[in-house]
Amino acid sequence: MRFAEVEEIKKEGKDFTLNMDIKPSRASDCFSHLGIAREIAALLNLKYAVPDAKLVENKKTKSKELVSIEVKNKAACPRYTARVVTDIKVGSSPKWLRERLVSCGLRPINSVVDIANYVMLETGQPLHAFDADKLEGRKIIVRFAKDREKIITLDGQKFDLDSSVLVIADGKKPVAIAGIKGGKLPEIDRKTKVIVLESANFYPQIVRKSSRKLNIRTDASLRFEHGIDPNLTEFAADRAAFLVQKIAGGKVAQGLVDVYPKRIGPRTIKLDLDFAERLLGIKIPEREARNILESLGFKTKALNQKILSVEAPTRRLDVSIPEDLIEEIGRIHGYDKIPSLFPVSSLIPAKKNLKVFWENMVKDILKEAGFAEVYSYSFFGKKEATLFGHKEKELIEVENPLSQEYRYLRASLIPNLLKNVEKNFRDFQQIKIFELGKVFRSPSLEKRHLAGLILGGEFQYLKGTIDLLLEKLGLNEVWYDEYRPTPEDSKQFIWYPKKCAEIKIGSEEIGFLGEISPKILDNLAIKGKAVLFDIDFEKLSELSSEEHEYRPVSRFPSATRDIAILVPRDVKVAQVLNKIHDSGKKLIRDVDLFDIYEGEELPQDKKNLAFHIIYQAEDRTLSSEEIDRVQGDIIKNLEEEPEWQVRK
Amino acid sequence: MASKISLNLIKKQAQKDIEKGRDLKELNDVFKRYLGKQGQLTLLLHSLEKLPKEKKAKVGKTVNELKGLLKIAFDKKSLEIKQKIQKEAEEKEWIDVTIPGKKPVFGHLHPLTLARRKVEEIFQAMGFTVAEGPEMETAWYNFDALNIPKDHPARDMWDTFWLKNGSLLRTHTSPVQARYMEKNNPPLRIIVPGSVFRHEATDSSHEFQLFQVEGLMVDKTISVANLKAVIGEFFRRFFEKDVKFRLKPDYFPFTEPSFDIGISCLVCGGKGCPACKRTGWMEVAGAGMVHPNVFKNSGLIPRDWQGWAFGFGLERLTMLKYKIDDIRLFRSGDLKFLKQF
Repeated sequence: MRFAEVEEIKKEGKDFTLNMDIKPSRASDCFSHLGIAREIAALLNLKYAVPDAKLVENKKTKSKELVSIEVKNKAACPRYTARVVTDIKVGSSPKWLRERLVSCGLRPINSVVDIANYVMLETGQPLHAFDADKLEGRKIIVRFAKDREKIITLDGQKFDLDSSVLVIADGKKPVAIAGIKGGKLPEIDRKTKVIVLESANFYPQIVRKSSRKLNIRTDASLRFEHGIDPNLTEFAADRAAFLVQKIAGGKVAQGLVDVYPKRIGPRTIKLDLDFAERLLGIKIPEREARNILESLGFKTKALNQKILSVEAPTRRLDVSIPEDLIEEIGRIHGYDKIPSLFPVSSLIPAKKNLKVFWENMVKDILKEAGFAEVYSYSFFGKKEATLFGHKEKELIEVENPLSQEYRYLRASLIPNLLKNVEKNFRDFQQIKIFELGKVFRSPSLEKRHLAGLILGGEFQYLKGTIDLLLEKLGLNEVWYDEYRPTPEDSKQFIWYPKKCAEIKIGSEEIGFLGEISPKILDNLAIKGKAVLFDIDFEKLSELSSEEHEYRPVSRFPSATRDIAILVPRDVKVAQVLNKIHDSGKKLIRDVDLFDIYEGEELPQDKKNLAFHIIYQAEDRTLSSEEIDRVQGDIIKNLEEEPEWQVRK
Repeated sequence: MASKISLNLIKKQAQKDIEKGRDLKELNDVFKRYLGKQGQLTLLLHSLEKLPKEKKAKVGKTVNELKGLLKIAFDKKSLEIKQKIQKEAEEKEWIDVTIPGKKPVFGHLHPLTLARRKVEEIFQAMGFTVAEGPEMETAWYNFDALNIPKDHPARDMWDTFWLKNGSLLRTHTSPVQARYMEKNNPPLRIIVPGSVFRHEATDSSHEFQLFQVEGLMVDKTISVANLKAVIGEFFRRFFEKDVKFRLKPDYFPFTEPSFDIGISCLVCGGKGCPACKRTGWMEVAGAGMVHPNVFKNSGLIPRDWQGWAFGFGLERLTMLKYKIDDIRLFRSGDLKFLKQF
């Protein structure tokens, strides 16, 4: 609750293992049993015991005479510490040690290697043991690898190294990848007599880069890349040597070999207790704040009534600013004790987000028109790209796709809408769906599109839906232009030729509408006919307007007359409508197409169009004579076209 | 006077005819015969034109009285017939009220849209502005500006989709914190809803594309106590019940202190059940006090401002609210799922 979560508790014989989720910020001091014991002791106000590391050194041999250590790059290796143990006898570890390793997920190997691993678990400091006799010239050199150098690791894998990889080398060649894995050459075996126990500190970023590059992750690299206190090496080396002596016998050579050119001391941070109160929203008395920090190993000193000088232990690499100390105080004090208080703040009204406003409006309209909203993934694959005619250079490709199905960012909403249809068409007679989401185009375009689809619907119906939508968005000047694709235009492939249109507002094209090509439906194994629209939503929301003007309703009666006209089949309704409006002028309130007929009784290549014409004036009642005259004008005007014939 | 006698005859005959009328059509014929344009009484009135003025007035009055009398009789009879027809109809006609109704066809908004609107409504009521940002993001905004340096293990907390154009898909909505603070000076209160992407395998509780909502409040003295008040109010309004919540220590590079926010399990009410892994709590959000480096990277002076930020997955809250058991349903496009909302 105040530190880390126990994810799992497992019974192991008479003991238990706790599986805990330690956050990366606490890796430096808590990726170890000792660290957790320290934390629990602070939380429960208990004492914790540090494991025994009291060595009996063999005064006759000096470590420095048995091995020489040279660190070429001090920044990459801030500290290199080693202990040397002679006359050892390598065997299997005792049962308790093997069991502990196994319960922590490690495989027992031999006593020396097991001890190195065990001390890492205890202290958080990774250790490595070399067979000193296998080191060329009894030398240890910490340096970057030379290009084309190679290493075979303990598990028999071969790696090619380069100058970005830090290695431990002997007089001749790399014997370990620093902080990551040991090499096969100086491996500990049953004949090993003299060991060098490495307890070093490596620069986190260097270990991380190499570990990524070589794709090796180990318990050691995990700890190093999070950063470890350089002051920990000494204790870990002593503790390991202590255990080796106890378990594998041997004599610990005198002295610690230690290359530590720049000692890291504790950091001092000034903590303003008023600031702590302001940030947490609760006053924590000085006494309690200091108690909490001290229980966690911090040293505190009051500079005055409000300011503390706090010295953080070097193992707490995560603590460097006052906020870090406030977190410590807050969590131990208990976040549950902080009250809920509404902020006292100036009353600044929330701004209206127009983008969201139009999104909501459009979604509501389509919902009322019977469409179901879908969310799809923002990706599609090579198959969709090809099928929908998207050229590779237009697409943004994912460097590390989850699968080939999601190789590109989607350049259009249509492929995924159709995939949804494919999933559903067996269960529903009619499908009406839409999506509002981002589409992406190379090199870095990201914009919102709105697309919708009716499976088993008519062009005219979908067009009516778009009309309704645009009308509700306050858009006039909406018209539909026949779509004439240029030969290289890829879009032509997805639409049924001559059954698609550009949606235009004034002179601006905002999208497309039409029937999808049967070729595409076949390819996706969709049965039926699908009409779709695809609108550039950025353009749409820019043009939309909330302004709406009331148009006075005429108080005078309207009158309706019908006209039926026989025209050649390729004549467009818009042509006829334009002619009617031309001659009707202001007296026509509305013209309503109520029937289109092409049938056997009609002359070939002709169709019959029937309209209601609604007449109304704003300032008077129209007499039937006046209406007859206008209607006559319209008929005359229509019949000026050679093959048009008004039916009387 | 003959006219008087004939008027009496007309009256008697008319009353008889009205009484005999069996339906509305017959009655209408009778009406026409006496009171229509060519009806007897109408013609009689016309014939009075030739009489001297005094006589005309006298006879005219009598005829008009008779007309009035007959109209009343007609109306009465007409009502009688209508009532009779209605009564017969009521005996014959009926509706089987157990026949299923015909529903008007309505569409459906996606559950995430519904939840998003609810979230926006709650925060807007508390003065938060809705802000947005790009889904294709730079490493600077997604990581560096948020105090997550390159080659730092903290980056492993977010498995990232990298793009060949050099950008990445944002792994959280937090980049908008920096983007917004660069352009807007505090005090500020925003929420940021939007899609985020995580490079990870999917199962019933993991998705690689998610909808997240970020919150950010910055002013002179914004505290953890304020975070608790606002987030508590949000949970109560969103779930429409008195949801308990708690803060636990957590780690995010862009906040200090950082919290994990858990709510009391909505399934068992906090007693412990399989849904909450028997803990009684469910983790739903991350939060914390904005790290000074984030202020610095956004062009603000850290000591001048303080504030908090939070982020939660909208799918998770929606799943809890509607008891949805598989996160993959949201982007499945399955209409059997979507039509329930």
